[in-house]
Amino acid sequence: MRQFLYTLSIVTFLGATSCQKKVTDNVIPNDRVSSDLAFSTTQKIESAVAGGYNSLQDLNFLSGRALVYIDLQGEDIFDRGNFFGDLPRFNMLSNNGIPAGVWNAGYSAIATANRNIAGIEANASLLTSARIKVLIAESKFIRAVSLFYLVNFFAQPFVFTPEASHAGIPLILQSFSSNDPAGNKPRSTVAEVYTQIIKDLQEALTDLPVQQDDLYSTKTRATKASATALLARTYLYKNDYANAKTLSKQIIDGLYGTFALQPTPNGAFGTGNFQTSETIWSIPNSVNDNPNTNNSLPQHYNRSGRADLAVSKSFTNTVTNPYFATDDRRRTTMLIESAALPGYFFTTKYTDPQTRADWAPIIRYAEILLTYAEATARLATGVDADAIAATNLVRDRSRVSAPAYTVASFTTKDELINAIAGERRIELAFEGHRLWDILRVKGNVTNKYDNNGVTLLPVQIFGSDKSIMPIPQAEIDKSKGVLTQNKGY
Amino acid sequence: MRKVLLLCLFLASMSSLLAQDRTVKGRVTNEKGEAVSSASVRIKNTKAGTVTGSDGSFSIIANDKTILIISSLGFESNEVTVGSQTEINIELKATAGNLGEVVVVGYQQLRKANLTGAVARVDGKEVANRPVMSFDQALTGKAAGVQVNTSSGLVGDNVLIRIRGAASISSGSQPLIVIDGVPVTQGNDQQLYNPVNTLADINPNDIESVEVLKDASAAAIYGSRGSAGVLLITTKKGKSGTATVSYDGYTGFSNASRMMKVLDGEQYNTVINKLATNSGSPPYAAYGDYDGDGQPDAYSTNWQDELYRNGGTQNHQVGISGGSGKTTYYGSIGYNDFKNYIMVNRLRRSSARLNLTTQATNWLETGIKMQYSQTNSFGLGSGTGGSLSGVPFGPLTAYPNVPVYNDDGSYYIGNGGNSPLNNTPNPLAVQTLNYDNRDTRRLLGTIYGEAKIIEGLRFKSQYAVDQLSAYTDQYWDPSVGDGNGSAGIAQTVANEKRIWSWTNTLNYVQKSGDHDFNVLLGTEYTRRNGTGFYALGIGINDVSLRLVDPANYASVNLQNFNTENNGLASYFGGINYGFKSKYIATFNLRADAYSGFGKDNRWGYFPSGAIAWRISKETFMESVSSIADLKLRASYGITGNSNIGDFPALATFIPTQYADIPSSNLSNPGNTSLKWEKTGQLDIGFDMTLRKGLQITFDYYNKETKDLILANPVLATLGFPGNVITQNIGQIRNQGLELSVSAPIFATKNFTWDLNFNTAWNKNKVISTNSNNDDILGGNAIIRPGHNLGAFFLIRWGGVNPDNGLPTFLDKNGERKQYDHSKPAASRWTTVKDGTVTTAVTATDRVLMNDKTPYPKIFGGLSQTLRYRNIDMLVDLQYSFGSYVYNSTLQNLMSFTSTRNKSVHILDAWAKPGDQTDVPRLYFGDNQFAQVSERWLEKGDFVRIRNIQLGYSIPKALLEKVQLTRVRIYAQAQNLFTFTGYKGMDPEANANGNVNLGLGVDFFRPALPRTYTIGVNIGL
Repeated sequence: MRQFLYTLSIVTFLGATSCQKKVTDNVIPNDRVSSDLAFSTTQKIESAVAGGYNSLQDLNFLSGRALVYIDLQGEDIFDRGNFFGDLPRFNMLSNNGIPAGVWNAGYSAIATANRNIAGIEANASLLTSARIKVLIAESKFIRAVSLFYLVNFFAQPFVFTPEASHAGIPLILQSFSSNDPAGNKPRSTVAEVYTQIIKDLQEALTDLPVQQDDLYSTKTRATKASATALLARTYLYKNDYANAKTLSKQIIDGLYGTFALQPTPNGAFGTGNFQTSETIWSIPNSVNDNPNTNNSLPQHYNRSGRADLAVSKSFTNTVTNPYFATDDRRRTTMLIESAALPGYFFTTKYTDPQTRADWAPIIRYAEILLTYAEATARLATGVDADAIAATNLVRDRSRVSAPAYTVASFTTKDELINAIAGERRIELAFEGHRLWDILRVKGNVTNKYDNNGVTLLPVQIFGSDKSIMPIPQAEIDKSKGVLTQNKGY
Repeated sequence: MRKVLLLCLFLASMSSLLAQDRTVKGRVTNEKGEAVSSASVRIKNTKAGTVTGSDGSFSIIANDKTILIISSLGFESNEVTVGSQTEINIELKATAGNLGEVVVVGYQQLRKANLTGAVARVDGKEVANRPVMSFDQALTGKAAGVQVNTSSGLVGDNVLIRIRGAASISSGSQPLIVIDGVPVTQGNDQQLYNPVNTLADINPNDIESVEVLKDASAAAIYGSRGSAGVLLITTKKGKSGTATVSYDGYTGFSNASRMMKVLDGEQYNTVINKLATNSGSPPYAAYGDYDGDGQPDAYSTNWQDELYRNGGTQNHQVGISGGSGKTTYYGSIGYNDFKNYIMVNRLRRSSARLNLTTQATNWLETGIKMQYSQTNSFGLGSGTGGSLSGVPFGPLTAYPNVPVYNDDGSYYIGNGGNSPLNNTPNPLAVQTLNYDNRDTRRLLGTIYGEAKIIEGLRFKSQYAVDQLSAYTDQYWDPSVGDGNGSAGIAQTVANEKRIWSWTNTLNYVQKSGDHDFNVLLGTEYTRRNGTGFYALGIGINDVSLRLVDPANYASVNLQNFNTENNGLASYFGGINYGFKSKYIATFNLRADAYSGFGKDNRWGYFPSGAIAWRISKETFMESVSSIADLKLRASYGITGNSNIGDFPALATFIPTQYADIPSSNLSNPGNTSLKWEKTGQLDIGFDMTLRKGLQITFDYYNKETKDLILANPVLATLGFPGNVITQNIGQIRNQGLELSVSAPIFATKNFTWDLNFNTAWNKNKVISTNSNNDDILGGNAIIRPGHNLGAFFLIRWGGVNPDNGLPTFLDKNGERKQYDHSKPAASRWTTVKDGTVTTAVTATDRVLMNDKTPYPKIFGGLSQTLRYRNIDMLVDLQYSFGSYVYNSTLQNLMSFTSTRNKSVHILDAWAKPGDQTDVPRLYFGDNQFAQVSERWLEKGDFVRIRNIQLGYSIPKALLEKVQLTRVRIYAQAQNLFTFTGYKGMDPEANANGNVNLGLGVDFFRPALPRTYTIGVNIGL
C-alpha cells in the first residue's frame, strides 16, 4: 500500500511536465497572429496593406468625423446637439478629446503605412515585383492622405507665411517596433510636409493601377485617379494653380479612367450609388464595419439619426450664400426639414442612420471639375471660357430658372472666381471642404452661427490662433518639449 | 506496514473486549461553566469517539482503563482516565488568545501560535446576513490595511480591494481570491453597459472565514499572484454529531443614501436664461404648451424622484450541517433578491452548496466542496453613470421644466418650450423601455483526496474548477434615446469562462520534543480560458420580438471572441519550524511560469523568509503576569503580479476589416524582453494578548515594487494601438503601519461589550518610472518620480473675483488671472492685479498636488458588539481620511456651455460687485470656469455608519418547548449615514473601475443604497 502511495505521488509529480507544457507552451492565441508572421504569406501581406486603409477608416478620421470637423468650423452647419462642444466656437482647450482622436488616428495610419512598406520590402521574395510596386504605392498614398489631413488640422494653412516656413507636423517616415527615441520628432515646416505629400503622391501615381481588382476596390483603394486628384487638391491648397490645373485636366481628359457626373444632384449619395462614375475615391462603411451611432456621418447629419448637425441659415440664405439660387435643385434634393424639430433643416447626403453604411465621400468628380475651373480661372488673364464650361457641368445639373454661365456673365476674372468658389461651397457642402476652402485663400469665417442657430459668432479672422486644432496636450507632455504647442493653447 | 497496523487495531479491540464496557456520561464546559458544544470526545488509541451536544453533554461506551481525549477548537485538549466514574464533567481551558486556532495559510494549515506572517482573519459571521450584493463589500473596515471601496450604489459595480496600497501602476492591484482552493474569476466579465461583479455569484452566508494574507511571508506561497495580497475563503463544513438545521432570513427595503440637488423647473428657466441673456443669446429655456391652449404649462419634474424608489430586498437561507461516523456534511440553499432604489436595477441570486468530507479509509480522506449558483442582474439599459441616458446623468441633467408623460400616458419625448440644445432623453422612458440583463450560471467546485502515507506525512491532490457561463441580453427601444437613431438595437453576449487548477502537495507535520516541523512541497497547474459569442441586431421590425434574428432586424452582426487564454505552472515548497513554540522560522519558495511571457522570461522565482519570537514563553516574561502571549514577527519576501493580460509580450496582428475588404492591423507592439514585476516586502510586527483578553496586532511594512509592468504611454507618432507599449519600468514604494485592537471592554454574565478597532496608515511614493523618469499622466492625475502615486495634477483655481464676478486661475508662477468670455478672443485673459491683457492659463500651468491623492492616508473600521441578556447590538463604522475626490459630476452640472440641468450650487452665482462666492457671473459659452481644475477637487474624508443591528434571542427555556435551539430576531440598517463634507454623491465614488492611475474621479456614480432589514435566525 505504501508503495502504491509512493508511486502515486511520484507519478503525480513527474506527470507534471506534460501538465506544465499544457498550461504554458501550449497556450497559443487563436484570435491574433504573431507579428513575426504578419508578412509571412501573400495573403497576410495583402491583408496588412488593406489594414492601412482600415486605419484611415478610423472613427476619428476619414470614416466621417474628420469631414465633419472641417464643415463644423465653417459656417454652413451648426452643432444643434451641442455634441462637439468648443470645436465649432474655435474655443477648444489643449486637452480636448477631438484633436487627440484625429492626431492619434492620423499617426496610426502613417505608422501602418510605414510598417507595411518595411514589411513588404523585408519579404519581397513572396511577391512579384509588379505587385510589390503597387502595394508600396498604395501605402505611400495612405501616408500622403494622412499627412494632408493632419497638416491642415494642426498647422496654419500653407499660405500663412510666404514660404510656408511655419510649424507643420512631425514627419514620420520609418517603422517602429519599440519605444524608439527616433519617434520623438519635432514639427517639420508646412512646406516640408507638403513636399513630402507631393513626393509620396507622385511616386504612388507612377506605380498605382488605373483600376483595382474590381469596381468596389477601384472606388475604395488608391488608383492613378485618386492619387492625381489628391495631388491636384494639394497644389490648390499651395496656391500652385498651374499644377492643380494640369492634374485635374488629366482626370477630366480620361487619362486615368472615365469619370462623369450623375444626371441628378445627390446622384452619388445613398445606398446603391457609391460606385458610380462620379466617385473617384471614398472611404467605405458597411453594416458590419462603421463608426457606430456616435460617430457616423448619417447619425450626425441625418434628421432621423442623432441629427446633431443642422444646416445653417448662412447656407440657405441667398444673402450669405449668393450663388445658391432659390430654385436650385439641391435645395430640395440635398436639404430637408425635420419633422421632429420644425424649422431645422438637415442634409440628405447621408441616408442610412440605421445601419450607418454610408460611404464617406473623399473625392468626387465634381471637385475635380471645380478645381480645374478655379485653377484655370485664376491663371487666366481675363474671364476664361474653359473655366466657365467646367463650372457649368456642375452647375447645370442643379440649375432651374437661372441662366447658364457664359463669358458675358462676368465682367471681371474675380467675379468668375467668386462664382466658382460659391458653386464649390454649395456642391461640396457637408463633404469636408468648407473651412479649408476658406483658409487656403486667406479668407475669414463670417456669418457663422452658434449652436442655437440664431446667435452670430464673432468673425474668425484668417490666421487666428484657434482656427487650427491644438496639438493634443498628452503628446506635448510625452514629447518633453520636442513638440511645440500651437500659439494660444 | 498495513498488515501491522491492522493487527494493532485488532489487538486494541480485543483488549477492549476484555474489560468491562459501560456507558459513561458527561458534560464539557468552559472555564465559565458554559457548555462547549461539538467538542470531540475520543477514546485514546482508537478511532471511537463522539461529539458533545449543544448542552455540552456526551455519552460514550468505555471501561475503567479508557482514556478520553476531549478537544475543541480554541481550547487546550484534555485527557481523562475513566476509572470508576460513570459521570465525568470536564472543564476545558481556553487557549490563550485563540492560539490554538488553526489558520489557513495557503496550501497548509498552521496553528496560529506558529504563524510568522501577517494574516488577518474575518469570521464568516461578519459577512453573513448583510444586505450587500457581494461578500467583498462586507469586508469593508473589517481588517487593518484592507481598503474596500465600492464604486457606487449600482448593482454589480466595481468593488476595489487594496491590501497595503496599490502594488502596481497599470497591472492589477486586486488581491488574488481563492475559495476552497479555487483561484476564482473576479471583476468584470463581458458585460455590455452595466458593470458586473462576479463575486456576487458567491453566497456570503456559506463563508466560514476569510483569511487575508498581507505580508510576503504569508502571500509568497502564491508567488507570482501574491503582490496585491491574497484572500483565502473557506466555506463551512459540518461537524460530526447531531445534525443542525438553520434558517436565516431577512427582508427589508432600500433607498438612496444621498441625492444631489438640481434645479427645479422655475429655477431652471431663470438660471439658463440668465446664462443666455448675459452672453447676448436669446433665452433658451421656457415652459412648453402641451394642452394646445397657447399658454405655457408650468411643469417641474424631479427626475430623481421619478427614477428612485424604495427597493425591496429579501434573503432566505436554509442550511444543514452535521456528520455521523466518518462523514461530515454541510449543505445550504440560498435565495437573495436585492431590488435597488434605482428603478429596474436588481440582483437576484439562487445558490446551492454541498460540502462533504469522508474518512474513506483510515489512511484516505476525500472531500468535495461545491456551489452552483444562478445570478440574474437587471441593469440599466442605456448604461450607467455619465452616458447620456445613464443614471444618474439622465435624472440630474434632463430638462426639469417638461412633463414626464403625455396626456395619453405615453412618455413625453421632446424639448418642451426649450431651445433644442442638449436634450437628455426622458430618463424614465429610457429606463423602462431599455434593458441590459444578465443571467449567470456558475459552478465552483473542489474535489480532493488526502492520503496519510506515514504518520505526519500527507499527500493531497486537489482538482478545482470555476466554470462561469453568462448570457447578456440588451435592448434599446426605437422610440427613445440610443435606440432612436438606429430604429431599435438588440445585443446579446453568451460567454463562458473556465478555470481549472490541479494542486498536489506533500505535507509533513512532525512534533518531536521541542521541535515542531511543518514542511510543504507542491505543484500547481492552472489554466484559464474563455470564449464568447456576440450578436447585434439593428433596426427592429416587430418590437415585441427581440431575439437577434435576421428575419426581424434590418441588419445582424455576429462575432465569436476569446476572453481569456492563459496558464500558470508552479512549483513551491516551504518549511515552518518551531522550537519550544518559542522560536519560529518560515521559509517559502515558489517558481511560476506564465504563458503570457516570452519563453526566455517565463519563469519567476519568489522566495520569502520569516522569523517569530514568542517572547512570552521566555522565563523572564513569566513575571509579567498581565501578558498572556506576545509574539514578535519579521518577514521579507518577494511576490509577483501575473494580472497582466494574456499575451503582453507578444507582438500581434488581428484581423480587421476595411468595410467589405478583409484586412489586418497591429494589435500589440509586444515586448520580447518583458519579465515579471516583483514586489519585495518587509514586515515587522507583533501580536499581543493580555490576560484580560485584549488583543493587539501591530505591523509595519515597506513594500517596494520594481520592474513594474507598465502600459507605458508613448508618443502617438510611434503608431502603437492606444499609444501604449507594455514595458518593465519604474518602481513604487508603499510604507505603512497597521493596528488592530480587539478588546472585551465589559464582560459579565448579563452584559458584554466587545470592541474591534483597526486602522492603517499608508504612504506611497513613486521611486522611478522609465529610464528618462518621464511623467505618466492619466486622467487628472500624474505619476512622477519622487512624488505620491496618482497625485492630482491640475490647474489651480483662484476663486471668483468679487469685483467683477470673473473666474480666476493661477498660472504656474502663481500669477492670478481672470477670464472674461465676453471679450474678443485675444483679450479674454487679464491679470487680476491690474487688468492687463495676458496669456491664457492653459494645461502648461498645471501643478502637481503631492498631498492630494485618491488614496486615504488613514482608514479602517470600528466594530462594537454589545449584549445585554438576550438583547444584542452591533455597530460597524468605517472611516477614511486624507483622500481627495475629483468631483467631475459637479463640474458637469455647473457647465456654462450646455443647457442641461444644473446643480443648485449655480444659484450662488455672482450677481453684483462685492459678492463673495465660488460661482462666477453666469455667462453662456464660458468654457474656462468649468474646465478641469482644482475647483472640483474636494476632500474625501468620511465616517460611515456601515451597519447597525439590534437583535433579540428568545430565551432557551421557551425554545425547548417548541424544540428549537436558537431563535434570534433582529433589525438592521446598512449605510445608515455618512458624515462627510464632500458635495457629490459619495466620497468613495469611482468612475474609472479597477485602476491605480485615475482613481478618485466621481463622474456620475449613483449613491450607495441605504438598506433597512428585519431578519430572523432559527436553529433546529
